[in-house]
Amino acid sequence: MSAAVIRAESLSKWYGNVLGLSDVSLEIDSGITGLLGPNGAGKSTFMKLVTGQMKPNIGRVTVRGRRTWNEPSLYRSIGFCPEPDAFYEDVTGWQFLTGLLRFHGYGPAERAERAGRALEVVDLFKDKDRLIRGYSRGMRQRVKFAQAIAHDPEIVILDEPLSGLDPLSKRKLIKLIKSFRSEGRTVLVSSHVLPEIEALTTRIVLIHQGKILAQGDIPYVRELIEAHPHVISVRSSDPRRLASRFVADPAVQKMTFDPDGRTLVVESRQRDRFFDLLTKAALEAGVAIDEITSPDDNLQAVFDYLVGK
Amino acid sequence: MATVRAKGYAHWEGAPVERRFPWWPITRTGIMLAFRRKRFKFAFAMSFVPAFVFLVGLYVSERIDDFRHMIRGGNQLLNITPNYFKAYMTNDFLLLPIVFVLAFAGAGLIADDLKHNSLQLYFARPLRKADYVLGKMSVVAFFVLILTALPGIVLLIFKLVFAGSFKFLLDYPWLPLSILGVSALLTVFFSFGILLLSSLSDKSRYVTILVFMSYFFSDILFGILYGIFRKPALALFSIRANIQQAGAFLFGQKLPHAFAAGWSFLVLAGICLLAAAVLHRKVRSVEVIR
Repeated sequence: MSAAVIRAESLSKWYGNVLGLSDVSLEIDSGITGLLGPNGAGKSTFMKLVTGQMKPNIGRVTVRGRRTWNEPSLYRSIGFCPEPDAFYEDVTGWQFLTGLLRFHGYGPAERAERAGRALEVVDLFKDKDRLIRGYSRGMRQRVKFAQAIAHDPEIVILDEPLSGLDPLSKRKLIKLIKSFRSEGRTVLVSSHVLPEIEALTTRIVLIHQGKILAQGDIPYVRELIEAHPHVISVRSSDPRRLASRFVADPAVQKMTFDPDGRTLVVESRQRDRFFDLLTKAALEAGVAIDEITSPDDNLQAVFDYLVGK
Repeated sequence: MATVRAKGYAHWEGAPVERRFPWWPITRTGIMLAFRRKRFKFAFAMSFVPAFVFLVGLYVSERIDDFRHMIRGGNQLLNITPNYFKAYMTNDFLLLPIVFVLAFAGAGLIADDLKHNSLQLYFARPLRKADYVLGKMSVVAFFVLILTALPGIVLLIFKLVFAGSFKFLLDYPWLPLSILGVSALLTVFFSFGILLLSSLSDKSRYVTILVFMSYFFSDILFGILYGIFRKPALALFSIRANIQQAGAFLFGQKLPHAFAAGWSFLVLAGICLLAAAVLHRKVRSVEVIR
């Protein structure tokens, strides 16, 4: 048995006639894992099952080997930042945090220290005595994040944590979440905004219509998508001469030239073989290569291919 | 200003310390938030007026000769028996203020959590659903007990103090138990009832209206039906009549309606069971997609 922190086995959950998750099996290790999918894909459902807020209809989900449903003591080690706003607006940020910390059984001094530390981390300490009603959207998002980390959990579950943040706050939060990885924590972060996930991690779980479409590092997942050949863009001094060397090779499926006249776009099912070929051809033809890029070797392309856009 | 500590990761493993009363933070917050409302504070302060009036009545009853000129014909009224305590605890003098206090303090108990999606934050903590419901019920219980058991016992103590002897208590040794019994009945019934109504909407204003409507409408319904059919058993439709019937039974007094008190206990218990079933369905951390 592997040492996965979070493990889901044949997990299914439905709401009346609506399917939330269908036969999901996956393992999540420590570090940051991005849960990616369009709205309604089942990301929040999965997170709520992991945080023990819902009971699966079929299957089981465990954290460190313990079932999450109805295990209150386990929730001490989990921090959850839900997507929608979830607080009384008539309390201050400070009261909100210290109030929630009470559930963990901390004494007054410990509560104050933890709340202060969490608010400092999200740059809200100076606004701690303002009513949440008066907080901006970004501040609300940050105080919600603060409550998820105030009790120093080992596992942090973040549902769309970056939505509504300004670019500066977003950058700070990304840096903070990344620091959790070096501390050995397990972070599961969901988003439907692909660049946000890309900025946080390369390890992704793609979820769509309640099913796991793919799981792993972004390049690895891309490799698995056989239906779509890899797109490789080569900027060089003489793209047509270079192209003439590839015509006879079965590794190349399609070639086009960009209007700038300097870029050759190749589609290939055998990427590694094509790169060997490219190096050899460039040497033999004496063509200087300025840049090689893979326009579809990113999360957006992977996502689009998998959900069939 | 707190300092930011460099955090070191410590591996979490087993056996964390359980909080003894995990529901207490919910109760504390509920009480605290109630006292932030001006309407509540006014209703709460006014709800002690009946206790004060009954206290004055006790004092006057012990010095009836001094006050004879003021209370012509009131001797019967100030004849202190268990019925006097029953009158305090089961009549509209008290029930109405309780309904007002709970309408303002209890309407938002679950409704506000539904409105603000707070349930998912609660249930991501070391807290069970039962703890959550118990915490909310304790808010209602706190206010009901303050308005029933506390003044009831205080009135009894003052009766003994004004009389200067324990004769009254020796004559009616079961009276403290009756006071506590009726207080417990009101506490349990109102706790379930208020939480039931509070869980029906995410708008506390609607719930406030619903609280008043449930109390008054049931009484009006009884009045209308009784006017038509003239059957005492129709009092079972009225919340107030059922409380009074059960209260009279617990104080060992003549029943106000001509049917067994057990039926009223059954009706009140039925409402509590219905509330428990609804709470079980409504108190969950996620919105159900239909």
